Amino acid sequence: MRAYVPKDDVQAKAYYTDRYYVAPQVPKSDVSTDEVFSADLEAIKAKFEVIDSFIQMGQMVVYINAKDNYGVLELMRDELKYTQLSEMSAIDWLAKENKFEIFYQMLSMHKRKRIRIKMFIENGQAVNSVEKLFRSADWSEREMFDMFGIEANNHPFMKRILMPYDWQGFPLLKTYPLEGDEFAAWYEVDKIYGKEARDIIGPELRDTSRVDRYDSERFARLGHEVPKGTKITGNEPKTEQSYQEEGGVFLIKKFDKESSVVVDDPQR
Amino acid sequence: MAQVTNRLTPFFENITFDRVDNELILNFGPQHPSAHGQLRLMLHLQQEQITKAHPDIGYLHRGMEKMAENMIYNEFMPTTDRMDYIASSSNNYGFALAVEKLIDVEVPRRAKVIRMMLLEINRLMSHLFWLATTALDIGAMTVFLFAFREREYLMDIIEGYCGARLTHAAIRIGGVPLDLQDGFIAQLKDFLDKLPQNIKDYEDLLDTNRVWLMRMEEVGTISTELALSWGCTGPMLRASGVAWDIRKEEPYELYDEVEFNVPYSDKGDNFARYRIYMEEMRESAKILYQTIDMYEETVKNNQTELMAHAPKYISAPKLDIMTQNYSLMQHFVLVTQGMRPPVGEVYVATESPKGELGFFINSQGGPYPYRLKLRAPSFWHTGILTDLLPGHYIPDVVSIIGTTNIVFGEVDR
Amino acid sequence: MAQHKINYTQDGGLPVALTSIDKIVNWGRSNSLWALTYGLACCGIEMMASGASRFDFDRYGTIFRASPRQADVMIVAGTLTKKHAEFIKRLYDQMTEPRWVISMGSCANTGGMFNTYATVQGADRIIPVDLYLPGCAPRPETLQYGVMLLQKKIRENKAGNAQRPKRLM
Ligand code: SF4
Repeated sequence: MRAYVPKDDVQAKAYYTDRYYVAPQVPKSDVSTDEVFSADLEAIKAKFEVIDSFIQMGQMVVYINAKDNYGVLELMRDELKYTQLSEMSAIDWLAKENKFEIFYQMLSMHKRKRIRIKMFIENGQAVNSVEKLFRSADWSEREMFDMFGIEANNHPFMKRILMPYDWQGFPLLKTYPLEGDEFAAWYEVDKIYGKEARDIIGPELRDTSRVDRYDSERFARLGHEVPKGTKITGNEPKTEQSYQEEGGVFLIKKFDKESSVVVDDPQR
Repeated sequence: MAQVTNRLTPFFENITFDRVDNELILNFGPQHPSAHGQLRLMLHLQQEQITKAHPDIGYLHRGMEKMAENMIYNEFMPTTDRMDYIASSSNNYGFALAVEKLIDVEVPRRAKVIRMMLLEINRLMSHLFWLATTALDIGAMTVFLFAFREREYLMDIIEGYCGARLTHAAIRIGGVPLDLQDGFIAQLKDFLDKLPQNIKDYEDLLDTNRVWLMRMEEVGTISTELALSWGCTGPMLRASGVAWDIRKEEPYELYDEVEFNVPYSDKGDNFARYRIYMEEMRESAKILYQTIDMYEETVKNNQTELMAHAPKYISAPKLDIMTQNYSLMQHFVLVTQGMRPPVGEVYVATESPKGELGFFINSQGGPYPYRLKLRAPSFWHTGILTDLLPGHYIPDVVSIIGTTNIVFGEVDR
Repeated sequence: MAQHKINYTQDGGLPVALTSIDKIVNWGRSNSLWALTYGLACCGIEMMASGASRFDFDRYGTIFRASPRQADVMIVAGTLTKKHAEFIKRLYDQMTEPRWVISMGSCANTGGMFNTYATVQGADRIIPVDLYLPGCAPRPETLQYGVMLLQKKIRENKAGNAQRPKRLM
């Protein structure tokens, strides 16, 4: 029997890891070491429950409950002067704990500080849209839906943004292979020519290192080129490389190698 | 061979005449010469005026974030080139800086100077390209030809350094691979000395040009609130009255040692953006002059190191790899297995020519990033078209898309 | 009169030239290859550069046209994604015969470095391609050499015969 390979994470994996290797941690420091951040954190704590908070790489990370996201971001924008939502997206932890981690990367231009608000949601749970607060979330949330399938409640136009509307599957999930599933592989053929064309066009060639010198359908041999589909015997004549036919072209000046100038100095 | 017919039906649903409300729906793109790539816009029109705009993106979505999760860190570097392919090195730099923060290495001074030079050359290239294409869209063919001429000089300089015209991959995690080639400084100086006159030429052609003014002034005005709310950065934000430049506010590399101004305007219209691009070219030239001096200083002080020394993460210099056994082994491991940064998260923003280019990396201690999110400025600059276009007329669409300076490699990733 | 002696029967002996229909038609076709502006990604920038001041495509008679109806050659410059695939077919169908396709850059040839779910692995899965240009991105010189090769290819065809429609399938 074939060995069972779990399908919940098909990402590339390190093929060798030292058994005793313990990955170091990026240092985290306490929020109280920074005045601005601790004031901000107090303001958030006063109204909402904060699960965890620390400073990493000069940016404060605050974990909140998923239901509070709208309120926290509103507070941040209106009272704490975090006027920009630079980025938001999700991280897939489905294989480990069946959860998504959502982060909102905020920027305050007044304080020159960046904060990352984070929260966990269950698989299948929707988040509250913050599109009313930050217009930029309009597209980020659509992208998040497109890539992870996380829906946002109260979003005006919850549709795919990067992939076509009739796409199936959520590409950034760890269960989705890099090279796409069956649907993705035949998407364009099915759409343009129909399923019956699959046999004629043939499957995609995904092996980047494959070269077959006897296959003139897919490969050309440099210097010995033949028309597509010819049987290759091995003694194809050499294709000479020239800009013009021998003897010149009708009504066109003959290209003369001797009398042409080669520009060596690009600054000429 | 069997003959199978095309199953695509004629595409009429995008043009709807004679609706009761007299609305015309116009499809713009994705193959449109002035869409700067593959932007598709659905425009709802009342006569010539736009009532609703619906940008449709994703026609260049190539799955870079997914690729990053399946690649070792160094392998991903050439892919970042293809994001904002007008100024590739700035993407390389953004990624390199994020990883350097993660693994906590300090880049030697000479490499820093070279990086800054590359960044500013890229900024100049990007702005020149912007000027060329926007001018072409508006009909100023001369400016297009002029600006491309200057861009080619810069391309030559970059090509001499890294061997590629467009996709440079000129920056490595931990430094730069090469020292400047002979003649780099001379060529660059040559170019910079001519630049003010060139910029003046463009301005003479455009600043008082009636057509240019009519298509630029009071068109596409973005208010400060809208710009902030849409997450606009870079020239788009500075044209709307916020003088925010990451090089100044959160200095990285040696930007705190050089002197330059941050041009901004509170008009928010196309013309303001155009002026900002022109002024930024002058500022870049200023920075480049200063980096030339800094470079010569490092030569004088004999600071020849180009890569940071961190054996756990970064290969030794080529000479060591060729001569020393341990360096060779370490290089082999780093190439075949990849470096393993510590567990943690980092978000690093840099000022690319288009705006804030951010790299969010979540590392779980493996050789592949667990999650890499690319924060590309153009994504939001495209999004703002939804709110910006209504109320404008069809010809304004082209000039507005032009001044937003969007690049689709970056929007769709 | 003596200095104006012209051998009218020879090439260049204007105002009379003797030739065959084939040659004159192919001469016309090959020297006015109007290209469709089809910059899809990074390679599109190099395509623009080849049309701009330094490389000057106009001297080949190649002018970029925005409309497929006016174009003879489609230069697929850049990554073709699955979302876009449908449109390339539409545009190809809209071009008038005779038409040619140049696939510029490794992305259009094979999918290139983007071996992912979203990229079409070669434009020739959708439309027939005449010429493949290698490189990522090919330099403008490569594109110009490519156009010269295409001109050569056109000259080799019989113009009199109806162009055999090139089919993918
Ligand atoms: S071949 Fe290279 S340069 Fe051309 S579109 Fe693809 S990635 Fe960009």
